[in-house]
Amino acid sequence: MPLWFVRGLRRGVVTTRYPARPDGSAAALPTPPAFRPGQLTRDVADRIVAVCPSAALARRGDNLIFDAGTCTACGRCAAAAPGAVTSSGEWELAATARSALVKEIPIVGRQL
Amino acid sequence: MTAVEPQAAGTSDRLVGELADLGGLEVTDGGATRGAVTVRVLPETLEEATHVIAGTAGTRLADMFADNGGDAPLLRLVWAHDSGYLLTETEIQGDQYPPLSDIAPAAFVEECEIYEQFAIRPATGKPLNRLMLPPHAGPDFPRLGHRPAEPLDEAHAPHTVGGQAFEFPFGPVRQVGVESLYYGLVTSGEEVVDLYLFAWHKHRGVEWRLRGRTPREAIFLAERAEGLSAVAVGWAFAAAAEAALGITPPAGAARTRAVALELERLYNHAAATAALCQATGLTVGQSAAEIALERLLRVNAAAFGHRYLFGVVSPGGADRAPDATLLRRELPGAYGELRRAADALLRTNSFVDRLEATGILSAEQARRLGLVGPVARATGLLVDARLNTGGPYAEQPVTVVTAEGGDVLARFQVMLGEAAESVRLIGEYLDAGTAAERTQLPPGGGMGLGWAESPRGEALAWVALDEAGRIIRARLRPGSVRNWRGFDDACRSQNVFTDIPIIEASFWLTAAGLAR
Repeated sequence: MPLWFVRGLRRGVVTTRYPARPDGSAAALPTPPAFRPGQLTRDVADRIVAVCPSAALARRGDNLIFDAGTCTACGRCAAAAPGAVTSSGEWELAATARSALVKEIPIVGRQL
Repeated sequence: MTAVEPQAAGTSDRLVGELADLGGLEVTDGGATRGAVTVRVLPETLEEATHVIAGTAGTRLADMFADNGGDAPLLRLVWAHDSGYLLTETEIQGDQYPPLSDIAPAAFVEECEIYEQFAIRPATGKPLNRLMLPPHAGPDFPRLGHRPAEPLDEAHAPHTVGGQAFEFPFGPVRQVGVESLYYGLVTSGEEVVDLYLFAWHKHRGVEWRLRGRTPREAIFLAERAEGLSAVAVGWAFAAAAEAALGITPPAGAARTRAVALELERLYNHAAATAALCQATGLTVGQSAAEIALERLLRVNAAAFGHRYLFGVVSPGGADRAPDATLLRRELPGAYGELRRAADALLRTNSFVDRLEATGILSAEQARRLGLVGPVARATGLLVDARLNTGGPYAEQPVTVVTAEGGDVLARFQVMLGEAAESVRLIGEYLDAGTAAERTQLPPGGGMGLGWAESPRGEALAWVALDEAGRIIRARLRPGSVRNWRGFDDACRSQNVFTDIPIIEASFWLTAAGLAR
């Protein structure tokens, strides 16, 4: 029996690590937004909801609803509210359930 | 190769003069489409006017579309000639107009589309294909105009299947990663006797969705009408909006667009090379071309922040500027990868033999069907929207690559020549200076025509804005729409089943562009 098979059974490793090595080109990929709840006000939330072309953002009361499955990482929200929205740098978005891609972000910024 | 300088206007004046002799014609200025000479043709002279224009050497039908401009639908025909575009407008009273595809065969696809969307049709009652809307599209299905009183019962125009021939359905679900597209193949067993396409499986109603949006909002959808031509379709749309509003983008932003457009051409031609290898069963060549493709996509991402160059073009200018240092450093290596793969392929007899004399189109077929891009240029036609784009392409004229064979090999050679020219142009535009800047869109409305040369040919857009600057009607015509019209002709030219994937790869079209 090949050695790699025995080693795999003993260590529980069936394939190579993922990723085998860091992918440098990933840094250039557009990534979905990350939000700073402390900088988010209702006005800011409404502004970024209005500029989102793919309806990935919605406001429900004092929560911002963000659907990473609908977001195209176009960057319009970060451009509209640079203090409250940044690029997440997260490009591996796979999830086992669709609902895991929908996030609620509390709006806790002080309304001026 | 032939270098062609943009020519001075003149053909339009000559055509308008000939049309004026027919009577029933009005040359419009106020409110007319900017970016093209616009003439209003009365319904009774439309057929004769179409004969005159279609019969003029050097003209081709670039697009035909309708909109509910007034009480009755307006039919617009866009004619391309050597120095620009001529647009005719005709108000259609009733539900019929002259059978224009009998005069200009290029018009057939649009006749089908216009019937589905606006319920007006050619007067002869000729059978029309189902093109955009799915069979289940009921009365509430979103349309640009009115629902036909008699919906298309037949999915396609009747085909004669005689003798030993039979119809062989293929699709719409095909191999991994390929768009949904249904081929109806009529065959006698091996030879392709006839072929028709259904592309409505991925209709997204993009033109319908654009209504009521500002150009800045709409560019997001426009560049997704055909994602593999995001820059070209986005540029055509932005240029149409800019023409409607009477503005021009800053020179640095226009060069930014040109850099992105040439990068788009490079990665598409690399992808077409990989597809040709796949279709001919050369897995080593396919891998080599896909390595080049991946390197080019990474260059795009590093230079512009998006692998497929979305978000670069914006009405009024450009939102992202390229990283010039990175492009100068990385692009030669990525292009060299493609060149090495292509050179090896051209030395491989089993590859070249499959391309030679396959999927032949003549220059006359290409002209009559209004074909564009590498498909048309491979027949010897000098058709390239960059010759009339102005801006960066006037500062640094493009050397248009043509070939004579009209077969798959000629199309491949045109693509390779264009890739080399794209690398040269990118260097020139970077030296001249690029920028991310925009001219403000002024308030007010108007109508404008815009165009850009996508990797698969001329992309056209026509936009009408109301006084609030919102879209009343936007027409997007990616290059794929024109060239699918020639695909069945290419497949019928004494080819067998296994030639079809090779011909499709050499056309390198998208179903999305047709089914937008």
